[in-house]
Amino acid sequence: MKVSVIGAGNVGAKAVYYIAEKNIADIVMVDVAEGLARSKALDFLHAAPLRGYAVHIRGTTDFAEIEGSDVVVMTAGIARKPGMDRMDLLKTNVGIARQAAREIARRAPNAVVIVVTNPLDVIAAVMLQETGFALRKVVGMAGVLDSTRFRYFIAERLGVWPGDVQAMVLGGHGDDMVPLTSYTSVGGIPISQLLDPASIESLVKRTRTGGAEIVSLLKTGSAFYAPGASVAKMVEAVIKDEKRLFPASAFLRGEYGFKDIYLGVPVLMGRNGVERIVELPLSESERSALEASAEAVRKGIAEIAQLTGGN
Amino acid sequence: MAQVSIVGGGNVGANAAFFIAEKGVTDVLLVDIQPGLSRGKMLDIMEAAPIRRYRNTLSGTDSLDDIKGSQLVVIAAGAIRTPGMRREDLYTVNSGLIRALAPQVARLAPDSTVVVATEPVDGLTALFTRESGMPRSRVLGLGGILDSTRLRALIARELDVSTETVSAMVVGRHSDDMICLPRYCSVSGVPLPHLLSAERIAAIVEETRTAGDLVVEMAKRSSSYYAPSAAVAELADSIHMNLNRIFPLSIMLEGEYGARDAALSLPVVIGQSGAVRILTPELSEQERGVFLESARKITAALNGDPETGKVARRVAGGAA
Repeated sequence: MKVSVIGAGNVGAKAVYYIAEKNIADIVMVDVAEGLARSKALDFLHAAPLRGYAVHIRGTTDFAEIEGSDVVVMTAGIARKPGMDRMDLLKTNVGIARQAAREIARRAPNAVVIVVTNPLDVIAAVMLQETGFALRKVVGMAGVLDSTRFRYFIAERLGVWPGDVQAMVLGGHGDDMVPLTSYTSVGGIPISQLLDPASIESLVKRTRTGGAEIVSLLKTGSAFYAPGASVAKMVEAVIKDEKRLFPASAFLRGEYGFKDIYLGVPVLMGRNGVERIVELPLSESERSALEASAEAVRKGIAEIAQLTGGN
Repeated sequence: MAQVSIVGGGNVGANAAFFIAEKGVTDVLLVDIQPGLSRGKMLDIMEAAPIRRYRNTLSGTDSLDDIKGSQLVVIAAGAIRTPGMRREDLYTVNSGLIRALAPQVARLAPDSTVVVATEPVDGLTALFTRESGMPRSRVLGLGGILDSTRLRALIARELDVSTETVSAMVVGRHSDDMICLPRYCSVSGVPLPHLLSAERIAAIVEETRTAGDLVVEMAKRSSSYYAPSAAVAELADSIHMNLNRIFPLSIMLEGEYGARDAALSLPVVIGQSGAVRILTPELSEQERGVFLESARKITAALNGDPETGKVARRVAGGAA
């Protein structure tokens, strides 16, 4: 098995670390910055005798090396810097995604593509269009990260093992996230039997701003451990054909009443990418929050069309 | 390294020793009254160490005195079921053993947490708690954890999803009247009733109810032991690393759902000091009725009709 990670920044490199530790696939890191991916791959390999890696790890600037990948993780893109226009950022990242998509389509035509670059739901749409891949083969990572943060905050509050907390979220990433508290449980017991509504709401709020909380602490840069771990979990689900139920951004064709956009929904991940989208009954407020989330994504798509003149 | 002692060198005991050894974080002592048996099994496990890469101290003994100072004591001794037997049929013979062991364990390892794996687990957990004088938070029975593990496996098979993402809740007596709670079973947080029809859920629940019997019937000369020993190893982990993981375990009841003087499985948070917290999910009237009826059966066995009590004491005398 072979996994390629495009972009050797913090999220890409941390994803490689978590995947390497699982010992389940050879890994190629690609980054256009000369020496960056190679240096990080070498650093990993130096740890191989201690950590017992049985897989190969390579770093390169050459897209040719992603040849035949089973999974490609797209993390490349620039981060927004102070004073930078949002549209300029979007334009740059769409350009990077298009170039990567063409390389992926040519060299790894059977790959499942996991998109991490933001704005996620928009970049995923670009990736799908540009690769021409089957809908189920292109999926975005956001919900796993939002739900793992939610799960951690609940576990911390209740003093229980985080692995015993299950949570499902829908919609966009961060502020647009729609937490499904009726699908959130601890050891199987619904969260509503263990916490009062105000406490649940405060944990939801902290989850929504979980990324921002880390940015404000770090001053420069953003979270990468939890995002990297989230990517690795999705990669593992594909490599091992685990059929794991994840919240992830998938292309909708009428599910939840939405058409032709990427949106965070529960998906069953396996060898073919999105094996199935699971539709759950939603409450009135969950539905309207999801509508708002979808509207934000539509706006992003419209902006791209405007940027590129429908090109 | 902290020590886990396992009393009983049969299949459950030896495989629990093996699973705990693989985790590599505690020393393991296997105790069996049959001279040489536990030493032989532990030697076998130790000799796999260069391949499997653990380096904890693994030893076997025929002297119970060696459990002194253990962090965790697993009771895996006693008679097992043969085809056609119900778990409760073992109470008479195995209660003698528990009566003999409980005071000795309390004396030798007073700060330990005890996990009772001997069947019938609920009756014997209650008996062990009473006879040892240990607090109820320190005596736990391997009951609902097995039923819920089996239910998880069956749900994952039915839905073709990863077992790890399935959580399942089974409470009550580890027997035919176990209480499976499908609405507290979920896949990545999504409750089971959203994913499976009521008919399929009922079929899976029924299969879970008889899963232990099926193993006994098929294996003929042994009862199930991989799932029980894997469960023991997970508990050992949660205690040693103070993980506060949640497992349905049999524990002495002190008013939960109005029941007392009996041990039944409930979701329990397990940390360094044993049961840190007992969770009491909402039960329907019918479920609560089954729970209380199960408790009554355990209390009856515990207080014993005179006949049962006599037989038990005779066996205990023989063992000592």
